Amino acid sequence: MALRISVGQYYAADSPIHQLDPRAKATCALALMIATFFVHSPLGLAAVAASVLALLAAARVPAGEVLSSVRGVLWVLLVLAVFNLLLIRDGSVLLAAGPITITTGGAWSAVLYPVRVFAAIVVGALLLLTTTPTELGDAFDAACSPLTKLGLPGHELAMVFSLMLRFIPTLANDASAIMDAQVARGGEVARGSLGRRLRAVGSVLVALMASSMHHADDLARALDARCYESGGTRSHWHPLHFGARDAVAFAATAALVALLVTLG
Amino acid sequence: MAQPAATSAASANASETPIVSLAHVTLAYGDLRALDNISLDVHQGERLCVLGANGSGKSTLASVICGLLAPDAGEVTLVGEKVFTAGAADFDAYRRARRKLGLVFQNPENLGLPPERIEHLVRRELHRVAMERYAKADPARLSGGQRQRVTIAGALAMEPRVLVLDEPSSSLDVRGRRSVMKVVEKLRGVGCTVVHVTHFMDEALGADRVMVLDHGHIALVGTPQEVFSHVEEVRDLGLEEPFAGRLSSQLRERGLDVSWTCDEDALLADLARRTSGHRSGRAAAAPGTAPHTAAAPVVRAEDVRFSYEQSRCRRRRADAAPAALDGVTLDVPRGAHVALVGQTGSGKSTLLRLIAALEVPDQGSIEVDGISTADRRERRRLHGRVGYVMQRPERQLFAETVAQDVAYGPSNLGLSPSEVDQRVKRALDLVGLAGKDDASPFQLSGGQQRLCALAGILAMEPDLLVLDEPTAGLDPRGRRKLRRILDGLNATGTTLVEVTHAMEDAARADLVAVLDDGRVVLTGTPAQVFSADNAEKLHDMGLGVPHPLAFARALEDAGCAPLGDPLTNEALADAIADAAGATGAPCAPAADGRDE
Repeated sequence: MALRISVGQYYAADSPIHQLDPRAKATCALALMIATFFVHSPLGLAAVAASVLALLAAARVPAGEVLSSVRGVLWVLLVLAVFNLLLIRDGSVLLAAGPITITTGGAWSAVLYPVRVFAAIVVGALLLLTTTPTELGDAFDAACSPLTKLGLPGHELAMVFSLMLRFIPTLANDASAIMDAQVARGGEVARGSLGRRLRAVGSVLVALMASSMHHADDLARALDARCYESGGTRSHWHPLHFGARDAVAFAATAALVALLVTLG
Repeated sequence: MAQPAATSAASANASETPIVSLAHVTLAYGDLRALDNISLDVHQGERLCVLGANGSGKSTLASVICGLLAPDAGEVTLVGEKVFTAGAADFDAYRRARRKLGLVFQNPENLGLPPERIEHLVRRELHRVAMERYAKADPARLSGGQRQRVTIAGALAMEPRVLVLDEPSSSLDVRGRRSVMKVVEKLRGVGCTVVHVTHFMDEALGADRVMVLDHGHIALVGTPQEVFSHVEEVRDLGLEEPFAGRLSSQLRERGLDVSWTCDEDALLADLARRTSGHRSGRAAAAPGTAPHTAAAPVVRAEDVRFSYEQSRCRRRRADAAPAALDGVTLDVPRGAHVALVGQTGSGKSTLLRLIAALEVPDQGSIEVDGISTADRRERRRLHGRVGYVMQRPERQLFAETVAQDVAYGPSNLGLSPSEVDQRVKRALDLVGLAGKDDASPFQLSGGQQRLCALAGILAMEPDLLVLDEPTAGLDPRGRRKLRRILDGLNATGTTLVEVTHAMEDAARADLVAVLDDGRVVLTGTPAQVFSADNAEKLHDMGLGVPHPLAFARALEDAGCAPLGDPLTNEALADAIADAAGATGAPCAPAADGRDE
């Protein structure tokens, strides 16, 4: 419980964003994230903020859910803002007190850069929150399909990717349980001499490795039992189809990207 | 083995060719013969239950039957495909056969995979296992029972002709187990052949045929009644008698002339006939007063509230955020054995972690041995004195040898090497692993790993031991052994706080605390907690009462005089013998004659 991992934290809801084809969704999200970095003007920033809020509303994911999944980044952004505020010396001086000089350029940068990065991260978080790990795996599979045509194991790579997503929470739970058990045996990682700490880390890592091996064994058996064969032809439960909805998403994204780039 | 192999169910189908057929199958892992000359036919629509102690070859047999393992010798025919003949495997036949076989096993691991089948099939299977509502939920976040049902749905979605279940319920709570068993019962209704490997004798009673494995041999085979009637042998094979079997034996010991049976309904009907109308006037035993009340409590939890971090930081939902524990007050008397019961998610494990000083309450306080767990520095002192045994504690093993692993705790306490050695030796003696010092903990059997992990905690010589479902996943022999060790510790003064799903275990504790939704709703002696007044309340919380008590109530409903509140088999047998005392003798021979 000590470790909270947000990858694959799917938030079940029925929204237009949830229903998008995962490939379309991932492409649009990526395009939008990149487009935010072309924004330099207040008008552009306002457009970014407005479109992210619109996306949030459309996805019907509670804002708290999104915030809690990007919580860790907020601190980094705060630091980024403070550095920009204090170190950039462009434009006219707003305030000069001893070693601290704040300029209009610095103040603008302190708003622009963190908000831009934050917007990009929220878009990414929304992608993860509205897409099941299986769908993400399918999208990744599609992205890898050119590799398959070149004779490389594209599908297997995608399989590994989606299994990884699936097992992160499982291993995180295992790790925190094992850490608890070793702490109760006096092996605390955060205390004691370096030697003791290393021993404590070792006791957790080796046990975690052993438990991962068990998971891997069971998983191999499970794949066998479900007739999974490397290189075999596989049927899909929900074959992916681009629909009208995805066309709309592509068009809207293209328009938005164009708008952001022109607003600058 | 001269056991009656042909049973009524099997002989009815004898004309058909068996759907699974093994002849003289042998399979070895290195020097270990996991399967030794096994011959077995399973017929269409049959439900076969495979029992045996850990390491008896059950899981290997399950793997052979569903085509995941090819044997070393013998002949295997699966769903009409001769997959293994004359010492050679036919891989094409294996592939064809595998598509008609389904396997579900212990740890539902296989969940990230898309059920690659068309929509209506999946919907149908989810409906069958009553998991429709969760179709889009992330499997990693379901409860154990739900997960296992999803796994069964995954196997069913492939429309197997034979479904092999390898201990599907060994890591589930009572409710999860019941729900999985319901699904298995339903499958039989639609004619699916089921091969079911289990550690729970009561699950085997509904099978057409039961087979007991011992070191790769078939030790016993027959209907459940036939197999379990070999009481001594069953026990020697590391298994236990089903409830009704044990009760009928105990009644016979008490001079009651009942015929031995493992069919609970039959026993109930028989006993109801003998005891109905007869008023023994035996007063219900008054609930005993709580022992140990005079001693100062070793754990004192006062108005404890705790919620996991994530729910705390979501300010918007702060009020609605469910606290894992809310307003929990509990005293644990020194030297007592306290059982915490409650459904999955009721906060039992969280309370254990708080007592072990691994978490600090948000509100209220927990004192262990007079030390508040909220004090950071003091809390560390508790880490030696409170032994924390997590769920499946064998996961904590890490060292190269058993002795080194057990020594980890005491050497962290800063003891001298000679003292550490002594403690390791004492702890290993206590759990019966003496002589295994230099073995790798990863080479031990499952049950031994559990004991090794326990030794690692006992070597710190804690006064208070908190245990999270210590017997989950063990076979009957392992459960008995662990119970004996824990009883021994308790008798020499160690306080035990144990989370358990088995009401029969809770009935043996000194005190029982029932948690529901983060609150302690009932506390008292087992007799108080499981009294008739609370039966409905417990049922509403998804909990049962100990089996003997449930049987007594059913018997009373069938017209028997009040039997009191028997919590153990012995007490139940005494009460029934009392009630039937006068009427038992005359009608017994007639009843026997009718039963045969």
